[in-house]
Order: sequence, then structure tokens, then C-alpha cells
Amino acid sequence: MNFSLLAPLGLVALAALALPILIHLVRRIELRPTDFAALRWVGAGIRPRRRLRVERPWLLLLRLALLALLALLLARPLLTPPAAAARPWVVVAPGVDRAAARNAANAIDAEWHWLAPGFPLLEEAPSSSFSPSSSLLRELDADLPATSSLSVVVPDPADGLDGERPRLSRAVEWHVVAGSPRANEAASVGPPVRFVVRYAASAEASVEYLRAAVAAWNTREPRHYELDVQPASVAIPADTTWLAWLAPPAPEVSAWVERGGVALIANASASSGDALWKNAAGEVYARNESSGRGRMIELTGALIPSSLPLLLDADFPDRLLAALRGPPAAPTRAVAAAMRPLHETAGMQEASRSLAQARPLDAWLVMLIAGLFLLERIVATHARVESSE
Amino acid sequence: MSASLESVDLIAADVRARLRDLRLTARSSSGTDGIGQHASRSRGAGLEFAQYRAYEPGDELRRIDWKLYARSDRYFVREAERDSPLTVWLVIDASASMRQADSARSDFRKLDAAKALAACVIELALRQGDRFGVIALAEPAPLLIPVGSGPRQRDRCLLELARLRPSGRWPDAGALRLLWERIRAGALVVMLSDFFDDAGADLALRLAAARREVVSVQLLGADERDFPFTGGHRFLDQESSAERRVDAAAVRTDFLERFAAARSQLARRFAANGIRHTEHMLDEPLDAPLRRLFAAGSRR
Repeated sequence: MNFSLLAPLGLVALAALALPILIHLVRRIELRPTDFAALRWVGAGIRPRRRLRVERPWLLLLRLALLALLALLLARPLLTPPAAAARPWVVVAPGVDRAAARNAANAIDAEWHWLAPGFPLLEEAPSSSFSPSSSLLRELDADLPATSSLSVVVPDPADGLDGERPRLSRAVEWHVVAGSPRANEAASVGPPVRFVVRYAASAEASVEYLRAAVAAWNTREPRHYELDVQPASVAIPADTTWLAWLAPPAPEVSAWVERGGVALIANASASSGDALWKNAAGEVYARNESSGRGRMIELTGALIPSSLPLLLDADFPDRLLAALRGPPAAPTRAVAAAMRPLHETAGMQEASRSLAQARPLDAWLVMLIAGLFLLERIVATHARVESSE
Repeated sequence: MSASLESVDLIAADVRARLRDLRLTARSSSGTDGIGQHASRSRGAGLEFAQYRAYEPGDELRRIDWKLYARSDRYFVREAERDSPLTVWLVIDASASMRQADSARSDFRKLDAAKALAACVIELALRQGDRFGVIALAEPAPLLIPVGSGPRQRDRCLLELARLRPSGRWPDAGALRLLWERIRAGALVVMLSDFFDDAGADLALRLAAARREVVSVQLLGADERDFPFTGGHRFLDQESSAERRVDAAAVRTDFLERFAAARSQLARRFAANGIRHTEHMLDEPLDAPLRRLFAAGSRR
């Protein structure tokens, strides 16, 4: 059990211990005034000796204890549970073969876990879902007792990272093994994109521009973009990636967007999102607006050159592609050897780790103080009754 | 005693009973007989006429009233009732130091003891037919009851004494002139004081030197005899309002030594000057000092 204080300055209140001591001593020195006519023969030079005798020492002790506990309460004590048996931990990032990991880490009597939410044992099936490795590493570092060592086995292009090298409170053995090919191929080429266009009869002229744009995309990435052009009455297929809605607003479109789709909507009204396309005079042609989990690119007019001049520009396909793709995600993959965690000895890490498992003692202290106060009152009043009798 | 005086009765019944066999005596007159209780220095002739009686063989010839013989042709002897009555003066110190009381009995002050002793002496004087007066030295003005005799004089004295309160310091020479004006030579002066002030002792010595018969009672408390204090004390003198902060246990032996020395020195000075002197502790019976002073004289 480790004992620590959240606010050690509260111990300054221990200075109040001087008060009861003074009270119990001052009474001792007090002189009793006595009428005495034969004062002439009382020796002059002998001052009363200030014997530091304490009156009612038990009451004084009680009062001192009471004040000390109050000061302790001000200092906010914490009790951290004892360090568990310090077995070394080995965590394996998902995507690493179990056998390869055991070869790489080569630890004796260690606890093997997946680097996944909940840290399941290595014997269980690896979770397939994406997990932020850096965040999990920090969590594990904070939860583990300070004494146990930590080894991490990661695949070579490590995934689930964030912008910074993890800063941990302990030195970490960082083993890099070759990753599974699944991760590699998933990174290079995504699934084909299905671009669905639904148009009203009045907007049939706009469809040609979208056909041209998709054709331009497919010259760069062959057969990656599939175009599906139908009148507005045809339902939106389930595997739609992007949608262009060139018809009056319909509830099924906004519902589809809120489930996580990306839609290009012409003739949108009361738009409030960020300006996406505008001309030199500052006139806004398109806005980018989030809706639920999805996103809408709202054109202020129809998708025709008279209301959207940049439709005729050579870079319109690129602009449209960028708008539909949205901002690029932060990189989560890096060369594993370069992401070796930094060892940080600063006290902040230490404090935050101990706080995670610490139990505050305030309630117990308050009860103890209340009990002591009662006892002090009883002792004090009892003694007073005795002295008055 | 009249009913109105019972409230100021200063003498307890047992003390009154023990006073019965005591007699006030003056040393200068003891050992001689007279018709009064005290022999006069001018022997033979009575001062106050009492009665005539017929001559009996053995009477001194000079006591026969010859003028009456010339008128009546018979011998008559002239008798004085009292040859020479004793005059008793009670001089009571009523300065602030007489406010001192014992810690064991805080309502009985030295002045109360002095009043009770004075009442005893007055009672004795009344019984013997002596004349008595009271002078209490208090501030701002001393209390004076001129010499008189009889129960009325006693009641007056007791009433005035009951009103007396301790205050102030020992009076200066101007106020003491009153004593010299009133107290004649040959009078018996009973001084009741604590004699903590040297002026009191000086007055007694000067009265004795001027042929006044001085009897002194020094009033002392049990606290002064035993000094029972412990711990830190702030001792206050009522008279000079001086104070002394001491640890009582530490100064006890020193105080007892010095105080005993002062007492014995006072006793020696008084004895050397022919003053009958005794000490009265507040916790002893009231007749004890009177017995020490007068018992020897009454046996003679």
C-alpha cells in the first residue's frame, strides 16, 4: 500500500498544533492573585519558575490528534494498492502471427496479451477490428504497476498510430516482425467506388458533365469508379459510395446521408456549411455541410455552366473528386522501427499512473475526525464537571 | 446587653465564659490594695466622695472628717468609693493591611479579630468599673470614642466598632497627635495591630517611654505562620498596592525565616521597653492572648 498526498501544502495546517499546546501551557503559568499583608518579608528576586507542565495531557493528546487528522484531510491523502506480482507483460499488436511474436519476444514467464481494447489473452482469437495502438499503449502503461516490464511486438508497417511517437513512463522492449500481407494490400488499393447519379427530367443536361468527370477519373485509375445514372424514381442501391442528387429534395436522400453517405446535391436551399467553391468576387457556388455521420456538398444552383462557371474548367473533375473524398485522414501507419516509444521519466506520468488506481481516504478520515471530536468533547466536559465539583 | 446590640455581639459565648476569671491589671499599680480595684499613686485620699461612716477603732486618724466632728461632735470617716479608677484606651489599627484574612476562613479578617479582642477588653473593664475609650486609626479620619464608663459607654463603643472598616495606611504624625492629647500618663493602652508598619511599633515604644502602660497584641494569620501556598502567586499588598510575582514554594523557607526574625525582633524591642506583648493567631480562641497578658497579673 502506497500512501500519497494530493495536496501536500495542506500539511501546513499542522502549524495549528501549536494552539492546543499553548492553551494547555499558558494556564500553567498563570499566577493566582493573593492578598498578603506581610509582603515585606516575601523574597523579591525569586521569579516564579515557568515549569512547562501540561495540564490534562490526555485531552491535549486528543486535541492534537484531531488537528493532525484535519490537516491530513486538507492534504487529501490517497492510498494506492500494492504493486501486483511484477510479471513482465508482452503485448502483441493485431496483425502479427502468434508464433512469430513468441519467437521475437522470447520472454520467460510473461503475460501475453493482444494490444486490443480490454487486452485479451493471446490464446484468444485476435480481434479483427481496427484499434488505435498508440492510445492502447498509453493506457497499458498507465495501468501496469511501475515495476513490471513491458515488451511490445508490432508488425513492420505499424498501424493505429497517431501523430506522435508514444511517450511512456517506462522503457519498452520494441520488437518488430514482418506484418501479415493482408494489411499491406488493404493499404494499397481500396474497393471500387460506386458513384450513383439520380436526376429529374429537368436536370438531364447536367448528367453529361458528371459522365465526363468520371471518365476523367477512370483514365487515371482504370475501372476504379463505377457510374450508375438513373432517373430520380429509381431507388438508391445499398452499396452506393457517393451520390449525386439532381432532383428536388427527398427525405430518403437526407436519411441516406445521415447514415454516413456523401452526396452532391443541386439546387440546395438555406445552406449553412463551409464555403467550398466560390468565384473571385466571393460569390459562393457550393458549400460543404456535415449531416449525421455523412456529408453533403450543396450547390447553390443547378449543375449547369450558367450557374456554375467552373464546370467548364479543365480541373473540374479533380475538384469534384477532392470534394467527394473529403479531407485526407491523418496517417496512422508508419515504419514500426521509427515509432519506438520514448521513455519519459517526468513526474507527471508517474503521478497520473498512481492516481489511476488510487483510492481517496477522505470519507474514512471524516468519520475518524467526527469520532475523535465526540471523544474530545466527552473528555473535556467530563473533566470540567469534575473540577467544578 | 440590650436587644439591639445582639446583632453586633462580637464575643462568642464560650469566650465570654472564659473571660470570667480574667482581670485587667496595670503593672504600676499591682501589688497594692485600695478601696477601688486599682491603687492610686496619691495614696490615702479618695478622689470621689462616696459616703460617711462611723469611726471604728483602727481607722487612720487623718481620714476622720474634722469639720463634721466640729458640727456633730461625733467621729465620722470619709470614704471614697474608688480610690483611683484605671483608664483603659484601646488603640486599634484599622489600616488596609488589617483586611488580611486566612485562606481557610476568608470572612474573618484581622480587623474582626481586633474588634472582638477590643470587645473582650471592654467587657473586662466594664466589670471592674474602669473607664475606657477607643481610638481606631483609620483613614480618612481616626475613630475616637472619649473615655467613659458604664454599659452605655460599652454599647456605644461596640456600635462604633461594628461600623469600622479597614482602609488606608497608617496615619501620619498629625493624626497621631490626637492620641497624645487624649491618653494621659498612667493609662493602660491596649494596642491591637499587625505591627507590619514600623510606625505602629514606634508609636507603642513612644507611648511606653512617656509613662503610658502599653499592652500590645500582634495579630497574625495562619497563612503568615504556615505559608501554605504552592505554585505561582501574585502577592498583593492592600496597603501599598505593591505586588510581587513569585513561585510560592520557592520562597517559603526564606519567608518563614525572615518573618520569624522580624517577629522576634519586635518582641525583643517591646520587652526591652517594658511593653507586655503577645501574638494572636487568627485561628486560636480570642481569650488566649488576654490570658497570656493578664493572667499573671491577676494571680498576684
